[in-house]
Amino acid sequence: MAKIKKTNKPETMIPTASMSDIAFLLLLFFMVSTVFVREKGLPVRMPRAASIEKIPRTHSSTIYVNRNGIISIDDFVVSIPDVRWVMQKKLSEDFNLLACFRTDKETNYGIMSDILNQLREANALRVYFEAKLKR
Amino acid sequence: MFRRKRKDMGGIPTASMSDVAFLLLVFFLSTTKFDIKKGLGIVLPAVAQADMKKVKLKDENLTKVWIDKEGQVTVISGGVDEQIPMNQLEAKIKRLVTQNPDMVISLKTDRKSKYQFMVMALDKIQAAGAEKISLSTN
Repeated sequence: MAKIKKTNKPETMIPTASMSDIAFLLLLFFMVSTVFVREKGLPVRMPRAASIEKIPRTHSSTIYVNRNGIISIDDFVVSIPDVRWVMQKKLSEDFNLLACFRTDKETNYGIMSDILNQLREANALRVYFEAKLKR
Repeated sequence: MFRRKRKDMGGIPTASMSDVAFLLLVFFLSTTKFDIKKGLGIVLPAVAQADMKKVKLKDENLTKVWIDKEGQVTVISGGVDEQIPMNQLEAKIKRLVTQNPDMVISLKTDRKSKYQFMVMALDKIQAAGAEKISLSTN
Protein backbone atom coordinates (compact mmCIF):
# COMPACT_ATOMS: atom_id res chain seq x y z
CA MET A 1 0.00 0.00 0.00
CA ALA A 2 1.22 3.35 -0.94
CA LYS A 3 1.95 5.62 1.92
CA ILE A 4 0.40 9.02 1.69
CA LYS A 5 3.00 11.46 2.77
CA LYS A 6 1.79 14.44 4.63
CA THR A 7 3.22 17.64 3.31
CA ASN A 8 4.97 19.54 5.98
CA LYS A 9 3.19 22.86 6.09
CA PRO A 10 5.02 25.65 7.82
CA GLU A 11 2.93 27.04 10.63
CA THR A 12 2.28 30.75 10.61
CA MET A 13 2.47 32.37 13.99
CA ILE A 14 2.77 35.85 15.29
CA PRO A 15 5.30 36.07 18.06
CA THR A 16 3.44 37.24 21.12
CA ALA A 17 6.26 37.15 23.59
CA SER A 18 7.23 40.78 23.07
CA MET A 19 3.65 42.03 22.92
CA SER A 20 3.66 43.02 26.58
CA ASP A 21 6.88 44.94 26.08
CA ILE A 22 5.23 47.03 23.39
CA ALA A 23 2.16 47.58 25.50
CA PHE A 24 4.22 48.63 28.49
CA LEU A 25 6.24 50.95 26.33
CA LEU A 26 3.10 52.69 25.10
CA LEU A 27 1.72 52.74 28.62
CA LEU A 28 4.86 54.35 29.98
CA PHE A 29 4.84 56.92 27.19
CA PHE A 30 1.30 58.00 27.96
CA MET A 31 1.93 58.04 31.70
CA VAL A 32 4.97 60.23 31.27
CA SER A 33 3.54 62.59 28.67
CA THR A 34 0.22 63.19 30.41
CA VAL A 35 0.08 66.54 32.11
CA PHE A 36 -2.72 67.14 34.53
CA VAL A 37 -4.11 70.60 34.91
CA ARG A 38 -2.95 71.98 38.19
CA GLU A 39 -4.93 75.18 38.13
CA LYS A 40 -8.33 74.83 39.70
CA GLY A 41 -9.94 78.02 38.47
CA LEU A 42 -13.65 78.59 38.69
CA PRO A 43 -16.48 76.49 37.33
CA VAL A 44 -17.50 78.09 34.05
CA ARG A 45 -19.60 77.09 31.07
CA MET A 46 -17.78 78.42 28.07
CA PRO A 47 -19.58 79.72 25.01
CA ARG A 48 -19.39 77.90 21.71
CA ALA A 49 -17.76 79.24 18.56
CA ALA A 50 -16.90 77.88 15.13
CA SER A 51 -13.84 79.80 13.95
CA ILE A 52 -11.59 79.04 16.88
CA GLU A 53 -7.87 78.60 16.80
CA LYS A 54 -5.45 76.80 19.06
CA ILE A 55 -3.98 78.90 21.84
CA PRO A 56 -0.30 78.25 22.54
CA ARG A 57 0.05 76.71 25.97
CA THR A 58 3.24 78.55 26.81
CA HIS A 59 2.92 82.26 27.60
CA SER A 60 -0.79 81.95 28.21
CA SER A 61 -2.32 83.04 31.45
CA THR A 62 -5.90 82.15 32.16
CA ILE A 63 -8.36 84.59 33.64
CA TYR A 64 -11.47 82.91 34.99
CA VAL A 65 -14.65 84.93 35.24
CA ASN A 66 -17.74 83.16 36.47
CA ARG A 67 -21.34 84.16 36.00
CA ASN A 68 -21.41 86.11 39.25
CA GLY A 69 -18.53 88.26 38.10
CA ILE A 70 -15.89 86.71 40.33
CA ILE A 71 -12.46 86.96 38.71
CA SER A 72 -9.72 84.44 39.39
CA ILE A 73 -6.15 84.62 38.14
CA ASP A 74 -3.74 81.85 39.19
CA ASP A 75 -6.32 80.66 41.71
CA PHE A 76 -6.40 84.04 43.43
CA VAL A 77 -9.65 85.93 43.47
CA VAL A 78 -8.97 89.47 42.35
CA SER A 79 -11.14 92.54 42.05
CA ILE A 80 -11.45 94.46 38.79
CA PRO A 81 -9.01 97.30 39.67
CA ASP A 82 -6.38 94.73 40.74
CA VAL A 83 -6.38 92.99 37.36
CA ARG A 84 -4.13 95.72 36.00
CA TRP A 85 -1.39 95.18 38.61
CA VAL A 86 -1.55 91.41 38.43
CA MET A 87 -1.27 91.40 34.65
CA GLN A 88 1.47 94.03 34.70
CA LYS A 89 3.49 91.82 37.01
CA LYS A 90 2.91 88.81 34.78
CA LEU A 91 3.85 90.82 31.71
CA SER A 92 7.13 91.85 33.32
CA GLU A 93 7.94 88.17 33.82
CA ASP A 94 6.91 87.12 30.34
CA PHE A 95 6.93 89.66 27.55
CA ASN A 96 4.91 87.44 25.19
CA LEU A 97 2.03 87.04 27.59
CA LEU A 98 -1.35 86.01 26.26
CA ALA A 99 -4.42 86.64 28.35
CA CYS A 100 -6.95 83.84 27.97
CA PHE A 101 -10.45 84.42 29.16
CA ARG A 102 -12.42 81.54 30.51
CA THR A 103 -15.63 83.34 31.02
CA ASP A 104 -19.05 81.91 31.68
CA LYS A 105 -21.40 82.57 28.80
CA GLU A 106 -23.98 84.11 31.11
CA THR A 107 -21.62 86.75 32.46
CA ASN A 108 -22.59 90.36 31.95
CA TYR A 109 -20.46 91.99 29.29
CA GLY A 110 -19.92 95.04 31.50
CA ILE A 111 -17.52 93.11 33.72
CA MET A 112 -15.62 91.86 30.68
CA SER A 113 -15.48 95.38 29.31
CA ASP A 114 -13.95 96.59 32.58
CA ILE A 115 -11.39 93.78 32.61
CA LEU A 116 -10.47 94.47 28.98
CA ASN A 117 -9.89 98.10 29.88
CA GLN A 118 -7.67 96.97 32.75
CA LEU A 119 -5.69 94.79 30.35
CA ARG A 120 -5.23 97.74 28.03
CA GLU A 121 -3.93 99.79 30.95
CA ALA A 122 -1.56 96.96 31.82
CA ASN A 123 -0.45 96.83 28.16
CA ALA A 124 -1.42 93.15 27.94
CA LEU A 125 -2.95 93.50 24.52
CA ARG A 126 -3.02 89.98 23.16
CA VAL A 127 -6.27 88.48 24.27
CA TYR A 128 -8.00 85.19 23.62
CA PHE A 129 -11.59 84.38 24.42
CA GLU A 130 -11.72 80.69 25.07
CA ALA A 131 -14.60 78.81 23.55
CA LYS A 132 -15.68 75.30 22.80
CA LEU A 133 -15.96 74.09 19.25
CA LYS A 134 -19.45 74.45 17.89
CA ARG A 135 -20.78 71.26 16.37
CA MET B 1 19.70 4.35 45.83
CA PHE B 2 19.00 7.96 46.58
CA ARG B 3 15.85 9.28 45.30
CA ARG B 4 16.05 12.82 44.15
CA LYS B 5 13.39 15.07 45.58
CA ARG B 6 11.49 16.78 42.91
CA LYS B 7 11.43 20.52 43.48
CA ASP B 8 8.60 22.65 42.13
CA MET B 9 9.92 25.47 40.09
CA GLY B 10 8.41 28.75 41.24
CA GLY B 11 7.29 30.94 38.40
CA ILE B 12 5.10 33.88 37.58
CA PRO B 13 2.62 33.18 34.78
CA THR B 14 3.51 35.58 32.02
CA ALA B 15 0.82 34.62 29.56
CA SER B 16 -1.67 37.16 30.87
CA MET B 17 0.92 39.87 31.32
CA SER B 18 0.03 41.48 28.00
CA ASP B 19 -3.65 41.48 28.97
CA VAL B 20 -2.84 43.41 32.11
CA ALA B 21 -0.63 45.81 30.21
CA PHE B 22 -3.25 46.41 27.53
CA LEU B 23 -5.92 46.96 30.15
CA LEU B 24 -3.81 49.63 31.82
CA LEU B 25 -2.99 51.12 28.43
CA VAL B 26 -6.63 51.34 27.42
CA PHE B 27 -7.50 52.87 30.76
CA PHE B 28 -4.91 55.61 30.41
CA LEU B 29 -5.76 56.17 26.76
CA SER B 30 -9.41 56.71 27.52
CA THR B 31 -9.01 58.77 30.68
CA THR B 32 -6.28 61.09 29.46
CA LYS B 33 -7.71 64.40 28.40
CA PHE B 34 -5.30 66.84 26.91
CA ASP B 35 -6.01 70.37 27.96
CA ILE B 36 -5.88 72.01 24.54
CA LYS B 37 -7.00 75.58 24.75
CA LYS B 38 -8.97 76.91 21.86
CA GLY B 39 -10.48 80.28 21.40
CA LEU B 40 -10.92 83.51 19.50
CA GLY B 41 -7.92 85.77 19.42
CA ILE B 42 -7.87 89.53 19.21
CA VAL B 43 -5.35 92.26 19.83
CA LEU B 44 -6.55 95.16 21.93
CA PRO B 45 -5.62 98.73 21.06
CA ALA B 46 -3.03 100.34 23.29
CA VAL B 47 -4.14 103.05 25.66
CA ALA B 48 -3.93 106.41 23.93
CA GLN B 49 -0.85 108.32 24.96
CA ALA B 50 -0.71 112.10 25.06
CA ASP B 51 1.69 112.26 22.13
CA MET B 52 -0.32 109.87 20.01
CA LYS B 53 -2.23 111.25 17.10
CA LYS B 54 -5.72 110.03 16.74
CA VAL B 55 -6.52 108.67 13.34
CA LYS B 56 -9.94 109.56 12.21
CA LEU B 57 -11.56 106.81 10.25
CA LYS B 58 -13.61 107.67 7.25
CA ASP B 59 -17.24 106.80 7.66
CA GLU B 60 -17.24 104.59 4.59
CA ASN B 61 -14.46 102.47 6.10
CA LEU B 62 -16.22 101.87 9.37
CA THR B 63 -18.96 99.44 10.21
CA LYS B 64 -20.37 99.40 13.69
CA VAL B 65 -21.89 96.25 15.05
CA TRP B 66 -23.97 96.92 18.10
CA ILE B 67 -25.35 94.23 20.37
CA ASP B 68 -28.04 95.30 22.79
CA LYS B 69 -28.86 93.65 26.09
CA GLU B 70 -31.27 91.19 24.49
CA GLY B 71 -28.64 90.04 22.00
CA GLN B 72 -30.22 91.87 19.09
CA VAL B 73 -27.65 92.84 16.45
CA THR B 74 -27.67 96.18 14.70
CA VAL B 75 -25.23 96.86 11.88
CA ILE B 76 -24.50 100.52 11.19
CA SER B 77 -22.68 100.98 7.92
CA GLY B 78 -22.50 104.12 5.82
CA GLY B 79 -25.05 105.86 8.01
CA VAL B 80 -27.66 103.15 7.57
CA ASP B 81 -28.93 101.24 10.61
CA GLU B 82 -30.05 97.71 10.02
CA GLN B 83 -31.30 95.23 12.56
CA ILE B 84 -30.40 91.71 11.54
CA PRO B 85 -30.61 88.31 13.21
CA MET B 86 -27.35 86.84 14.53
CA ASN B 87 -27.26 84.08 11.90
CA GLN B 88 -27.22 86.61 9.06
CA LEU B 89 -24.35 88.62 10.51
CA GLU B 90 -21.65 86.53 8.86
CA ALA B 91 -23.10 86.95 5.36
CA LYS B 92 -23.61 90.67 5.94
CA ILE B 93 -20.04 91.24 7.14
CA LYS B 94 -18.67 89.10 4.33
CA ARG B 95 -20.47 91.29 1.80
CA LEU B 96 -19.14 94.47 3.39
CA VAL B 97 -15.56 93.18 3.60
CA THR B 98 -15.44 91.95 0.01
CA GLN B 99 -16.79 95.30 -1.17
CA ASN B 100 -14.21 97.22 0.83
CA PRO B 101 -11.13 95.36 2.13
CA ASP B 102 -10.19 98.34 4.29
CA MET B 103 -13.41 98.03 6.26
CA VAL B 104 -12.96 98.23 10.01
CA ILE B 105 -15.54 96.35 12.04
CA SER B 106 -16.18 97.88 15.41
CA LEU B 107 -17.99 95.57 17.79
CA LYS B 108 -19.79 97.26 20.61
CA THR B 109 -21.75 95.38 23.22
CA ASP B 110 -24.17 96.63 25.82
CA ARG B 111 -22.87 96.33 29.38
CA LYS B 112 -26.00 94.43 30.38
CA SER B 113 -25.68 92.02 27.47
CA LYS B 114 -24.42 88.48 27.95
CA TYR B 115 -20.81 87.60 27.15
CA GLN B 116 -22.14 84.77 25.00
CA PHE B 117 -23.59 87.19 22.44
CA MET B 118 -20.31 89.04 22.11
CA VAL B 119 -18.41 85.79 21.49
CA MET B 120 -21.04 84.69 18.97
CA ALA B 121 -20.78 87.97 17.08
CA LEU B 122 -16.97 88.00 17.20
CA ASP B 123 -16.96 84.43 15.93
CA LYS B 124 -19.21 85.39 13.01
CA ILE B 125 -17.16 88.47 12.17
CA GLN B 126 -13.89 86.51 12.20
CA ALA B 127 -15.46 83.71 10.15
CA ALA B 128 -16.54 86.31 7.59
CA GLY B 129 -12.89 87.09 6.98
CA ALA B 130 -12.80 90.56 8.50
CA GLU B 131 -9.20 91.42 9.35
CA LYS B 132 -9.66 94.73 11.08
CA ILE B 133 -11.81 94.17 14.11
CA SER B 134 -11.98 96.46 17.08
CA LEU B 135 -13.68 95.84 20.37
CA SER B 136 -15.25 98.97 21.71
CA THR B 137 -15.41 99.22 25.43
CA ASN B 138 -17.90 101.39 27.15
